[in-house]
Amino acid sequence: MHRATQTALYEWPHVVGPAVTRQCLKYKAPMRQSLRAYSVLPPPRDSEEKEMLAQMIRVDHAGEYGANRIYAGQMAVLGRSGSGPLIQEMWDQEKKHLGKFTEIMADNRVRPTALLPLWNVAGFVLGATTALLGKEGAMACTVAVEESISEHYNSQIRVLMEKDPERYIELLKVIKEFRDDEMEHHDTGLEHDAESLPGYWLLKNAIQLGCKAAIYASKRL
Amino acid sequence: MAALLRGLRAGRALRGIGGALVAPTATNPRCSSLRRGFHCAALRLQDESKSDKPPSSSSTNYHEHYQAHPTDQDTTAASQGDSADDLAADEAFKTNTSYQDQSGEQGEEYETEEQLQVRILSASLEFVQEHGWSMEAIAAGAETLGLSSASTGMFNNGAGDLVLHFIAQCNLQLTEILAEQHKQVQLGQAEPKHTSDLLRDAVETRLRMYIPYIQTWPQAMSILLLPHNIPDSLKHLSNMVDDIWYYAGDRSTDVSGYHHPRSPPSSARTFLSPFHHHPHNIRPATVQMNWYTKRAVLTGIYNTTELVMVQDSSEDFQDTWNFLNNRIQDVVNMASTAKQVQSTGEAVVQGLMGAAVTLKNLTGLNQRR
Repeated sequence: MHRATQTALYEWPHVVGPAVTRQCLKYKAPMRQSLRAYSVLPPPRDSEEKEMLAQMIRVDHAGEYGANRIYAGQMAVLGRSGSGPLIQEMWDQEKKHLGKFTEIMADNRVRPTALLPLWNVAGFVLGATTALLGKEGAMACTVAVEESISEHYNSQIRVLMEKDPERYIELLKVIKEFRDDEMEHHDTGLEHDAESLPGYWLLKNAIQLGCKAAIYASKRL
Repeated sequence: MAALLRGLRAGRALRGIGGALVAPTATNPRCSSLRRGFHCAALRLQDESKSDKPPSSSSTNYHEHYQAHPTDQDTTAASQGDSADDLAADEAFKTNTSYQDQSGEQGEEYETEEQLQVRILSASLEFVQEHGWSMEAIAAGAETLGLSSASTGMFNNGAGDLVLHFIAQCNLQLTEILAEQHKQVQLGQAEPKHTSDLLRDAVETRLRMYIPYIQTWPQAMSILLLPHNIPDSLKHLSNMVDDIWYYAGDRSTDVSGYHHPRSPPSSARTFLSPFHHHPHNIRPATVQMNWYTKRAVLTGIYNTTELVMVQDSSEDFQDTWNFLNNRIQDVVNMASTAKQVQSTGEAVVQGLMGAAVTLKNLTGLNQRR
């Protein structure tokens, strides 16, 4: 096999000529489909679409990753308190989301954002700090973050619907489902006295600003 | 697909003009092809004829004549003359029609020029040994295709274009070989290789493509280091490294619990493994950073091996392959050492905490009175 490879290598310019010439112009890493019968992302038509889809998956993955770490931080502080089971339940759903995006990412050879270690630390610190303000603090943080994430998913849904709802039907299904889950978390947070936190408005806006910056950065880096 | 059709259409237009212009026995291929080029450019502007052929049949036609092209060059219709000149040489070309196209002439010409550049550069590679990686080689290559050496004016980057083109070709070759091997494994016709073996073979395969050009390779490397070439060469390098890791089974965005069926357990995978094993915790970002660290490591291995290769004078570059082997072993060892250090560290921490608790118990600080 090796010998054959070597022979092939020495003679490749003569063998592959026109085909390679043609392909050289379109050289890009080939997209391989997963072993599953279907794939959430459609095979991209051109590099523009590929880049757009890659950015979406990258930022969604980073978002779910951050959300996971936030809940981890909250659990670290409030895990043994009364709101522990509630936070744990929301955390489990986030883990499911993260798993899904990781799967899509691996299948489609999307590069993860280089800022993941930053979101790791920042998310945990945010979750732990707000949890130190008590249950209301944790809920306020949840409300703020989930609202940001829902807004972000909504804008993605809008973009995909504008482009071609038929083509992205699988991806739209996934994002819609996750958006609904995040809205549910948001409502849960509100139910559990998030707004009764002193300085709620300030905290909420600060967190949302941070989320916007994070989304902007993760798309590109 | 659209680009394919455009290129084919351009080729067909060329062919059609060729058929109209050139005498049955082309005595002067170079002149005719040049004329053809000029006429083609002029006439293409007026060529508005649409075809009724559906795109699907056109593409099968394309594949047909494409496969026949390498074998049937001599028997092409005499109107071809210099058949090597024409990318879309079609000995089965019966109808002088172009395809339905809605795009402007601008798109056609762009595609053709790129294809032409690629062909010139491919032809120029043979002259690299003689002229080095330079405009002279490109000029010589252009001349073999029947174009004047003034066509080197197309290449703003000169030697850089040539080197980058060569690198792109090599990467493409490597990808095809890796894909083929991967397919073999999936079909069960070959044994799956250990990750480090696969990495070593991939790098060796890729570097062996430089062997015919090894005398002039230092010049090529220095050309790649020129500031205006660095972005492109880095892009090619990163694409190549990404491909190699992909076929080595790297699915580094894995979160614990999800194990991709194709990826073999490799010690390199546990590079910088998680800091703590809380059962409810997902593995922290260091696992995700595997994506980056793996590629960085492989880039380092590749670059250093390349440097060793250019000043290697041993038989069949055996020193280079030994060096490569050792580097890959280093990485494997380092990864397993890191894992060991970490588990030792954890054991030590637990021991210390146990000692602290014992001490507290002994001194009675732990009791609530």
